[in-house]
Amino acid sequence: MIKSFKHYLGVYRYFVSTSLSEALSFRTSFVLLILMDIFFYFSVLFSVDFLFDHTLMIGPWSKYQLLFFIAFMLNIDTIHMGVFSSNFWMLGFKIRTGELDFDLLKPTHSIFVAFFRYLKPSSMVTAPVAWGILVYYGNKIGLYWYDWLMIPPLLLMGLALLCVLEFILSTSMFWLVEGMGVNFLRMQMQQMARWPDFIYKYTYQKIFTIAVPLLLIGSGPVHFIFDKSKWPYLLGMVVALIISSLILIKIWDKALRQYDSASS
Amino acid sequence: MSNKVIEVTNLTKQFKSYKKKPGIKGSIQSFFNREYTTKKAVHDFNLEINKGEIIGLLGPNGAGKTTLMKMFTGIIVPSAGELTINGHRPWERKKDFKKKIALVMGQKSQLWWDIPAMDSFLLLQKFYELSDQEFKTRLDYMAELLGVVDLLHVHVRKLSLGERMKMELMASLLHNPDVIFLDEPTIGLDLVAQENIREFVLDFHKKNGTTIIITSHYMADVQALCKRLVLIFDGTKAYDGPLEKFEKILGNEKTVSFSFSEEIGGCDFIDKYDAKWNECRNHVDIRVPEEELREVSKKILDLYPVIEFNTEKMPIERVMKTLMTNPEVLRQQRENLSS
Repeated sequence: MIKSFKHYLGVYRYFVSTSLSEALSFRTSFVLLILMDIFFYFSVLFSVDFLFDHTLMIGPWSKYQLLFFIAFMLNIDTIHMGVFSSNFWMLGFKIRTGELDFDLLKPTHSIFVAFFRYLKPSSMVTAPVAWGILVYYGNKIGLYWYDWLMIPPLLLMGLALLCVLEFILSTSMFWLVEGMGVNFLRMQMQQMARWPDFIYKYTYQKIFTIAVPLLLIGSGPVHFIFDKSKWPYLLGMVVALIISSLILIKIWDKALRQYDSASS
Repeated sequence: MSNKVIEVTNLTKQFKSYKKKPGIKGSIQSFFNREYTTKKAVHDFNLEINKGEIIGLLGPNGAGKTTLMKMFTGIIVPSAGELTINGHRPWERKKDFKKKIALVMGQKSQLWWDIPAMDSFLLLQKFYELSDQEFKTRLDYMAELLGVVDLLHVHVRKLSLGERMKMELMASLLHNPDVIFLDEPTIGLDLVAQENIREFVLDFHKKNGTTIIITSHYMADVQALCKRLVLIFDGTKAYDGPLEKFEKILGNEKTVSFSFSEEIGGCDFIDKYDAKWNECRNHVDIRVPEEELREVSKKILDLYPVIEFNTEKMPIERVMKTLMTNPEVLRQQRENLSS
């Protein structure tokens, strides 16, 4: 187990270094991507800030509570963009062109190569900006020390749930071959999770909390941070994560059996 | 203990596809209603390969060679039949299995385009858990043999096709696999690069006793590397045997070319050997039974002003060309061969 972990970690170190080496060879593009990320963060924050010029509360949350939620989701987005997002686009391309062939030959699990290989180092550079925003709004709402301690594991749980749901959706590319539609649907899923669950009507809320647990990604942890009696949200996240992972393993196996590799 | 590295029994692979009529109307029609057809790319294929053999897998485009290679390596899953490589079922994709095989595809690349090959090699070192010593020794040996020591730190996109293919070979063989699948490794390369690749493969085989399965449309590759050939046609095996026997599949005649210093008029003696003259009638190709070769050649040399003559260098090329352009011959030969 430890040997296997070390093996994967060793490979991952080179995924990081080769991605960095590739990204830094295109300097202007690298800088533009950083600017794009920062522009995205502040456009989201300013939109919410503008809404609160016209109202005091949205649902049960005040301005700074909602901005804290937005900052929490921005941090999930930042890690997601830096570590995973390129892989979803590459997967569609590789299935269509048959370049996935070489990934399947590598002596590691194919999910690891398919979804962890490409990183976007520019998002790593902007990560401290996202952390700063989270810390700023966390202070504004007066978080306790134990709330701060909980934030990193809750962020990772939210990220893990988002990724596993996206992995499952992306697996459909093996049947559809063209990945564009799936990727835009995936981005809509992210968009949905970027808002708190209470803005959705009852039926949608139930569907996207229980059947497709998108609303647990950010709303679950933040509800719990604000009110510790809402621990069932966390239980729901753990259950959703376990069930989704099992579904992913099954569906991935079926997808690989379906893969027919483009002609050379 | 069995010496067999590859055992294939009744292997079959089917693919489903649909046909689309041209134009906008065809696109809209196919969006709502697709007529799918199932094609057997490989059908009831049987094969046994021993440790250390180099096998040439030949056949026309679309015969099923690459499909076989992809099943052998576990990239695609067979529709039916049994297949074991080194005791593993490839489609189970076990780590031990993946560490023992390598695939080189002439038309696909595993190297990262926008970084130097060395960065990709270092990543592969981690994938295959090679020690620094193993990595360095193998890299140095291959880079030197292929003459690419100075190119290791150049971005892959800046390399020529031949240089890139050498890097691809190195990337695939760094982990010292037991079985290597080479799918058209010399495609599009110039003659010198082709020869370099062939020499490298032979040297690697000699040094490591690796089992190698190669597909190629260049008969020079086959002639230089393989003692045994497997011919696949329409997804089924049409021939499996020694190269020498394959070369005589159309008979034991030798093709001999003669060039003359002047035009040669009507000549019954030469014409009876299925003579193919050029327009100026100063060059002819004839087909002579092997046992008459010395006698006929001597007679022509004595009687006519011959300035150059040679026997066919690669009879396999003629055989392949005949079989591919005239499948009827193949069917007859297949019946003869199976008996």
